Amino acid sequence: MILGGFDIVVIALVVFVILVLFAGIKTVPQGYRYTIERFGRYTRTLEPGLNIITPFIERIGARMNVMEQVLDVPTQEVITRDNASVAADAVAFYQVLNAAQAAYQVSNLENAVLNLTMTNIRSVMGSMDLDELLSNRDAINDRLLRVVDDAVQPWGIKVTRIEIKDIRPPTDLVDAMARQMKAEREKRAQILEAEGSRNAQILRAEGAKQSAILEAEGQREAAFREAEARERLAEAEAKATKMVSEAIAAGDVQAINYFVAQKYTEALSAIGTAGNSKIVLMPMEATSIIGSLSGIGAIAKEVFGDGNSPPSPPRPRQVPPRTTPPVNPFNQAPER
Amino acid sequence: MLTRVVAELGPWTWWIVGLALLAAEMMVPGFFLVWIGLAALAVGVLSLLLWNATFWIWETQLIVFAILAVAATFLGRRLTLRHDATDEPFLNQRGASLVGRTATLLEPIAEGRGRIRIDDTIWRVTGPNLPIGTQVKVVASNGRDLTVEPL
Repeated sequence: MILGGFDIVVIALVVFVILVLFAGIKTVPQGYRYTIERFGRYTRTLEPGLNIITPFIERIGARMNVMEQVLDVPTQEVITRDNASVAADAVAFYQVLNAAQAAYQVSNLENAVLNLTMTNIRSVMGSMDLDELLSNRDAINDRLLRVVDDAVQPWGIKVTRIEIKDIRPPTDLVDAMARQMKAEREKRAQILEAEGSRNAQILRAEGAKQSAILEAEGQREAAFREAEARERLAEAEAKATKMVSEAIAAGDVQAINYFVAQKYTEALSAIGTAGNSKIVLMPMEATSIIGSLSGIGAIAKEVFGDGNSPPSPPRPRQVPPRTTPPVNPFNQAPER
Repeated sequence: MLTRVVAELGPWTWWIVGLALLAAEMMVPGFFLVWIGLAALAVGVLSLLLWNATFWIWETQLIVFAILAVAATFLGRRLTLRHDATDEPFLNQRGASLVGRTATLLEPIAEGRGRIRIDDTIWRVTGPNLPIGTQVKVVASNGRDLTVEPL
């Protein structure tokens, strides 16, 4: 089969049409935007779906990913305001909001965002003390986000999030911090212990004081009562004596003899019945007993009169007060 | 040899080419081969009808095929545009998807500019001057900046 000129033109036409279709039909997948350049100049952005561009005149410029992207910020050394050198790394998320700006306003977008984030981590963290740095990550993240997001505005992207992943102070500093924490806890423990023992001692002393006071009060009270008892006893004795003396004054003097004799014989019997006594005490004046007996006789005579004359009536006589046994009630020890 | 195969298969050549193109489109989706494949199938249909006509020589068939391929592409675009409905109209359009949301002002709007926090990130907003903490509603978005008005 010999091809004529027309045949070749037809074949070329079909090939050409296919090439034109190939160049003109652009399918943009979801999550991407294609920028269109007409003779090298940006004209529009293709949305996801089937798009037809003018072949030869228009060309795809950049295929921009408009999904949110993660950027790993590598570890870097940061000097804090108080001159501690710490290693910090972070992760940043950004999303292209305007494909054309992101494609043409900045060259090498990812590298630009990365470097911007790194320098801002340095400046933000460098303006804080180490203690602040370790305790205020949220504040750092917030400040970083604001600064970096403002800076990337001309690039048509938005930094949605920057998180400091790890802050590592040098090991000797970590050791020192651990020791400081330990020392602080020990200090607290010791203070607590000292306070405890102080309180215990105070309580103990207070208890002793209280008990001493109570004891003294008890003794004082007892002494008061004792004195009262003695007064009361004396009063009673005085009254008794008075009554006796009144009785005597009103009656016979022989009544005294009765009392004396009674006491005397009582005492003698007590001496006599004492089981363990080896010696029998006799009154200094045995005759006094006789005297008292004669006193009894006088009493009897007084009472019974002369109706029955005793076989040998004792001669009545006055008992000398000298010889009376001590019956002074004040000499008796008060009962306790 | 190729011409002998084409001569023996007759009109079915176009069918085979068309189906092969559709299959290739399935393997490598690009929304490009499918239109050419459909054009080839159309030529196949015409070939079945006109195979014995004197003007239906292979050059004619190729020209018709080229015309149909372009026509199918434009027709297809119109069809896909018409059936472009999606249940996620704001996919990958972060700013636009925030329209209608409410938030409190993180910074006062002064000289028309302020900041709000939505979805754990900070957005710059434009709107009337308002004090910090005001409840605002996003009414429009122009990509990076949102326009708000007080509730």
